[in-house]
Amino acid sequence: MKLKRFMALGMAAVMTMSLTACGGSDDKPSDSASSNNNASTDNSASTDNNTTADNDTAADSNAGASTGGLTYAGIKLGEDYTDLTTTIKWMHHKTDREEDGTIQAYIDEFNKAYPNITVEHEGITDYAQTALLRLPTGDWGDIMFIPSIDMVDLETYFIPYGSVSEMSDLVNFADQWKYQDQCYGIGYMANAQGLLYNKKVFADAGITELPKTPDEFIADLQLIKDNTDAIPLYTNYAAGWTMGGAWDGYLGAITTGDTTWLNQKFTHTADPFKDNGDGTGAYALYKILFDAVAQGLTEEDYTTTDWEGCKGMINRGEIGTMVLGSWAVAQMKAAGDNPDDIGYMPFPISVNGKQYATAGPDYCYGINKESSADNQAAAMVFVKWMVEESGWCDFEGGYPVSKTAPTSFVFDGVEIVNNDSAPEDEADLMNQMNAESELNFNNGGDSRVMAIVEAAAQGGSYDDLVAEWTQKWNDAQSALGVDVTY
Amino acid sequence: MAAATANQSRKPFNFAKWAKSRKGQQALIIIGFSIIPLVLLFTFTYYPFAEMAKFSFYDRNYTKVRGFVGLKNYIDVFNRPDIFKSLFLSLYYMGGAVVQLALALYLATIFCFGVKGGNFFKGCMFFPYLINGIAIGFIFKFFYTRGFVFDTVLQWIGFDLEDLPFWLRDTSINNISLVGTSVWKYFGQNMVLFVGAMMSVDATLYEAADLDGANKWQQFKYIMLPSIKTIVMLNLIMAITGSLSAFEPPFVIMSGGGNGTATYFVKMHEVAHTSQKLGLASAMAIVLLLIIFVATILQKLFFKYVFKDAEDEDKGAAARREKKLAKSR
Repeated sequence: MKLKRFMALGMAAVMTMSLTACGGSDDKPSDSASSNNNASTDNSASTDNNTTADNDTAADSNAGASTGGLTYAGIKLGEDYTDLTTTIKWMHHKTDREEDGTIQAYIDEFNKAYPNITVEHEGITDYAQTALLRLPTGDWGDIMFIPSIDMVDLETYFIPYGSVSEMSDLVNFADQWKYQDQCYGIGYMANAQGLLYNKKVFADAGITELPKTPDEFIADLQLIKDNTDAIPLYTNYAAGWTMGGAWDGYLGAITTGDTTWLNQKFTHTADPFKDNGDGTGAYALYKILFDAVAQGLTEEDYTTTDWEGCKGMINRGEIGTMVLGSWAVAQMKAAGDNPDDIGYMPFPISVNGKQYATAGPDYCYGINKESSADNQAAAMVFVKWMVEESGWCDFEGGYPVSKTAPTSFVFDGVEIVNNDSAPEDEADLMNQMNAESELNFNNGGDSRVMAIVEAAAQGGSYDDLVAEWTQKWNDAQSALGVDVTY
Repeated sequence: MAAATANQSRKPFNFAKWAKSRKGQQALIIIGFSIIPLVLLFTFTYYPFAEMAKFSFYDRNYTKVRGFVGLKNYIDVFNRPDIFKSLFLSLYYMGGAVVQLALALYLATIFCFGVKGGNFFKGCMFFPYLINGIAIGFIFKFFYTRGFVFDTVLQWIGFDLEDLPFWLRDTSINNISLVGTSVWKYFGQNMVLFVGAMMSVDATLYEAADLDGANKWQQFKYIMLPSIKTIVMLNLIMAITGSLSAFEPPFVIMSGGGNGTATYFVKMHEVAHTSQKLGLASAMAIVLLLIIFVATILQKLFFKYVFKDAEDEDKGAAARREKKLAKSR
């Protein structure tokens, strides 16, 4: 009798546990999704060097970093280090590519050239936070995708690949993670900022030319609504990260044509959200979303949009456009039988008649400073092989990282620009402004963009919303003592 | 007692001997057994809490301390409308908690008076409690989607889809929709606790009441309810504190508290993790703790004065009487 009861209790416990496990795995889509979000928002990286403590550690670790002559440029793939025998460990966020075997396939391919280097890898669902927690412990392996840290901390944790100028000859975006002119991170792929659309829906709606201004874009959405059954613009409101994570990506050069705006002028601008009147600037950017929702050009119930479902919907032609980075192209194409209908167009804002697109790296490989010299060498060989030889970036449909690897990315009639990075003494300013104002541009400010949709749907005023942001921005500027010069 | 031992032996203190004595053994065992839980309790509860309390006086993020700011964080908690107003959303959840307890009490009473297949129904109603909160969030996201489960069921019973509101979009009802999910999850657990307590009531009391001609309502009111007062109280306190810290429904279903559903916890999460204002978030946590303390004490007082029976006497009085008796003997 007692035994029976014990067993029943055990069973109950096991069942409860397994239920919890089920529940846990249900969370996955949103988690991996939010890591995507972080990936596309990485370009707001930052530095700070005002405390003496930081300067001390910087000086100490500098001495350590300068020993050893390992550089990315110096490695000849297939020739150097082929006799190196070691095991390296790689921590990454691409759980989807881990599950479908893509990553293992690349590693197998790598092992044909370097049979003695064993690569172990660990995909982490909640990457952005887990990586930050594990980083200071130092025992996370040899390669990780650099999480959102301050530039000044780079040399505490990672070894450099070489000087930024040297690296710039080999890869795009070598200055993404730089400190004292050393490059600490190389993207595994890069994203260009444009707009996802369904070519067939556009054709059915009678749109012959891609929109170039916000007005044309809204007019085209109206055409889609009138002439087809498709949802003109799917907001993906409910996924959260698709709001701030997607829309903030167009701030800067795309909306202003000025590559210095985002990282150099924005924090010093008194009224960054003012209406330019010509369909440019941050005002025009978010107004597209507001207008689309207010004029009923989006899905009828934004609170129950379905991120997983939208992929199939746009593939089948049930959605006209979605505002997402180019990283999404591969997923949308894979979601159904009509991969050729998925198109990617430049964002419909023209500055003086010219459209711009920015591109920036996704997560970047970083190599552990605490690893042994052998492991560091093996890790750098692996990173170089992944960037130059694997073809992973192109497989994901991304903008190229390597300057020499073949690519299939085309973006016609658009000037590809990069937002210039912040001056060294202000590298952390954007982060501070984001935190102080809680607007969190390019930093997970989803609730701010969600509020646009809410206001539009409930008959609110866009200008009130923008005025509120301006107020918060100005308050943060005065709290942090930022000079307002623009 | 200490004086007695001192008188007995003026010899130097011998630890080995003391350790072997009965009293020494007792003390060693007590220390030995309690040191582990105490260390664990301190390391994982009190120390982190003290650290958090310290954080709340600083302007800091996860990696960097910008300086001591005194009470500014606490002032912000009360001054910022977005934070303070989010506390009022808890009222929805408190309302839900009352409904939930009433429902649980009602069902438990029915089960207690005997139902065919009672255990099966009990199991069904308890089941949601076992499901992970995140999973429940996803279930209800689809449940409330336009034209999905809930709308379909309502259409079966004659509602027209055109007349139905958007359960999550409409800001006048979306908080109620969310509260509904938490009631669905927790009422079964409350019910099982009530049933357990009711089962422990002596059955002969009902029999006697039956003979005296008491109906079911009177039996419930005069026998059952007084006997399970403690457990009702416990459930109420848990439900109210739970409603103050509601997090999962708005966070999962409403994608991080959009559309005016950001409860205090959701707001705290955003402040701490998105804006990385760790000091402010810690202050929010401490304020919430204090509010929970106050709410619990108020509830205790409320119950003490409102449901005071004539026969109930002060527990202290009984103890004092015992003492007196012992002395006089």
